[in-house]
Amino acid sequence: MRRRGKSRTDFVRDLAIIGSGRHWLAVALALSLLALLPFVLRWTHNLNWLTFLNFTLLTVIAVLGLNITTGMAGQLSLGHAAFVLAGGYALGVFTVKLGWPFWGALPVATLLSGIAGFLVGIPALRLRGFYVAVTTLAFFYIIQFVVRNIEITGGIHGLIGIPYPYVGGLAIKSDIRWYFLLLVFCVLCILASVNLTRSRLGRAFLAIRDNEDAAANLGISVGLAKLRAFFIGALFGGLAGALWASYVSVVKLDQFTIWDSIWYLGMMVIGGAGSTAGTVLGVIALRLTSQVLHSIGSSGLIPLSSNLTIYMTYAIFGIAIILFISFRPFGLIAMWQKLKANYKRWPFGT
Amino acid sequence: MDQPADIILAIENLSLGFRGLKALDGVGLSARKGETISVIGPNGAGKTCLINCITGYYRPREGCILYRGRNIIGMKPHQIARLGIGRTFQDPTTFPHMKGLDILMAGRYLHTRTSLLEGLLFFGRSRAEELASRQRVEEIVAFARIEEVRKVPVLAMTYGQRKQVEIARVMAMGPGLVLLDEPMSGLDEFMKEVVNELILDMRQRNITIILIEHDMRAVMELSDRVVVLDHGKKIAEGTPTEIMRDEQVAEAYLGGLSYEREAA
Amino acid sequence: MPQINTIVQLIISGVLVGGIYSLIAMGFVITYRSARVFNLAYGQFAVLGAFLAWTFIGPPGSPRLPLPLAVFLIIVSAVGLGLLVEFLFFRRMIGRPLFASFMLSLGLLALLHGTIMLVWGPESRVLGATVPKGPLFLGKFVLAREYLWSFGLALVATLGFVYLFRRTRIGLAMRAAYDNQVAARCLGVSARLNSQIAWVICILVATIGGVLIATVNGVSIGLSELVLLVLAVVLVGGLDSLVGCVLGGLILAIGSNFTSYYLSQYLVGVESIVSVSLMLLVLLIRPDGLMGIKMIKRV
Repeated sequence: MRRRGKSRTDFVRDLAIIGSGRHWLAVALALSLLALLPFVLRWTHNLNWLTFLNFTLLTVIAVLGLNITTGMAGQLSLGHAAFVLAGGYALGVFTVKLGWPFWGALPVATLLSGIAGFLVGIPALRLRGFYVAVTTLAFFYIIQFVVRNIEITGGIHGLIGIPYPYVGGLAIKSDIRWYFLLLVFCVLCILASVNLTRSRLGRAFLAIRDNEDAAANLGISVGLAKLRAFFIGALFGGLAGALWASYVSVVKLDQFTIWDSIWYLGMMVIGGAGSTAGTVLGVIALRLTSQVLHSIGSSGLIPLSSNLTIYMTYAIFGIAIILFISFRPFGLIAMWQKLKANYKRWPFGT
Repeated sequence: MDQPADIILAIENLSLGFRGLKALDGVGLSARKGETISVIGPNGAGKTCLINCITGYYRPREGCILYRGRNIIGMKPHQIARLGIGRTFQDPTTFPHMKGLDILMAGRYLHTRTSLLEGLLFFGRSRAEELASRQRVEEIVAFARIEEVRKVPVLAMTYGQRKQVEIARVMAMGPGLVLLDEPMSGLDEFMKEVVNELILDMRQRNITIILIEHDMRAVMELSDRVVVLDHGKKIAEGTPTEIMRDEQVAEAYLGGLSYEREAA
Repeated sequence: MPQINTIVQLIISGVLVGGIYSLIAMGFVITYRSARVFNLAYGQFAVLGAFLAWTFIGPPGSPRLPLPLAVFLIIVSAVGLGLLVEFLFFRRMIGRPLFASFMLSLGLLALLHGTIMLVWGPESRVLGATVPKGPLFLGKFVLAREYLWSFGLALVATLGFVYLFRRTRIGLAMRAAYDNQVAARCLGVSARLNSQIAWVICILVATIGGVLIATVNGVSIGLSELVLLVLAVVLVGGLDSLVGCVLGGLILAIGSNFTSYYLSQYLVGVESIVSVSLMLLVLLIRPDGLMGIKMIKRV
């Protein structure tokens, strides 16, 4: 082929997640800060913030899954909380009812949740857009119904006494140990999610999100890609659910409701749908908001009952979603990128 | 059927209908390896329908489409793509939110084998394939002059850039047969020249091309043979110069021109 | 034969409830058809309507306001709310991808839910006199008067909206906008007026439906479960068909009547699952719904 323009030859660097020495430094700094954080919190007697961090890490894992199904592959899912629920219940049943060890139950529970995702994806083979959203919603209710009506899941009482894991003889019991375990899982999930965006499958997801018909002409089997998107998304959700169940040692039906599905979508949109970093940002932003509201409510500064705090959270989350969709549809991550670009151009303005 | 061995695409007696409306009526066409065949005709003549039939989006009522001697009617669009048939779309905003580079890399989908797990781990084969694809894509980026839209989503590109990316995507797919649906429509003279060169490059690499185009200069310059459709029927076929002289074609397609000539 | 009597009774009450569902579903379809918004907050609008009605009418016994005035106020506030919602939220969504309006409606769902709970709290309430209540004996069958009245009102409202959509200029403009908002604009259809009318009708219907359902079931936030049922009704019928709404409403109401009568003692929550599963089944067999039109795909 004749060469006319310029082709890049340094794309090996372009391909790396962490491109430069400065970038490495930033990542190392961030990770060591995250590692120091729990000790600082313990030192300053802010252990409820550690619990908050742990739930945030769990939510990040769950929402990363939704970001794959909905953000990347464009399959609107209102049923993501059902996969988290399925993962939690699967771990509960295997450990409590069948007596499996945690590390044996975790992968199986995750995989089972993934298979549930696969099944939920089947109606999506023939449907598009909203119809997919509604079928996932329907599956959410069906999974709830099944869990409520079969005996092994403990019905409406749920399962209690789910064991905690051991890592090299160390019992993961305290919040601080859970923090490190969850941090490792979370970083691995983020890596997997980023890897997906630079692999053929991730691009196939983007292609079917943008245009199913044209994607087929790239040789992508649209149906299979959709099933895979649901499968991977549910894997992440199931992993989060299983860890969640072990962390709080109980699993109950009202732990994961349809509202959680909605919040997951909201976090994804506020962060920036389709972007891994954005998703993480979105989760942190919404979780932080609710924690701050909660702290205000319980501090007694403003007379708010716990119920009122919850209702206020609903309203504020709703407003946040509406504002972002209306004015910043690409989310926090786009705002951050713009800020970065402006900083580089300084002082020449926007 | 006995056909010369180098016939890539053979279409016989193709008919397509939507609820009584006949979009294609007994159309036949054959293309040898490396040939460029233009399909022309007024709007609504069934040109895009023909492409949609070949690529499996529409299922014809009757007739057969043989690609390298194999009947592809009834196959799904992605199965047909796997045989090496690529196409562009008339509206170049095919993947509105994808970036230029991602679209071209997605074009390499069929040339990579990475499994789901390898993709999640980005190790070994995944990485190697990614680098190999990128190498090829960068060559195409340079040739198609779309360096500046590597990291730009399609919606932020100009119309011309979208058309370039659309053709570059098909080139990245490395197909044996390419169907181009009006690659020049809506472009200015300079951009037409760029697209022209891209098509010429595909010709040089012995890729069979079916070109739908209204720009007669491009049709004359690029094609070996021209097929004229009108109301779903093939009304003429021949070399570009033959077609230019054909009375029936002038009647159907260049009707305005012959009218002007009379007036003069 | 008591068996036959039970079945007839279940069918009759199914038809009555189905009529109300159909009306509510129609409000959903109207914004989908004219503004392409898949409004998941719809159930919350119905709840809001019911709570507003409760505020104006009050609990049974002494009405706070005379009924005509209360009805007038309810209608005025519904129209006002429709204009407000259109102006604040959905006007920006014209020409935006479907995902945006979908997420917007989810945000609205959360906002309305939170606001309703902040203002009225979670307790369930009984709505005072709107339509006559009590049993009506027809030979061997018993009908609830409030069902009958609600059904009658729903029928009148439904016919009115069908007339509006099919026979008037406004309806024509709205159908044109459904096909292509930008092109409709070029034909002189005012996108803004269209969108306003659609939202006013949508919220008016939601309010009427909410009040009718509240008359039967009482006022509570739980009414928003309606949204799922309405979605099911709409999707069984076909998203783009008003006739489909009626059909879907009847099928689902009669279906869930039967299952809740025969099965709910064995399985917890089976009646809500039935509509959902029926919807899934229909979508799997006929992705465009029973009455939906299959479009020719243009590539």
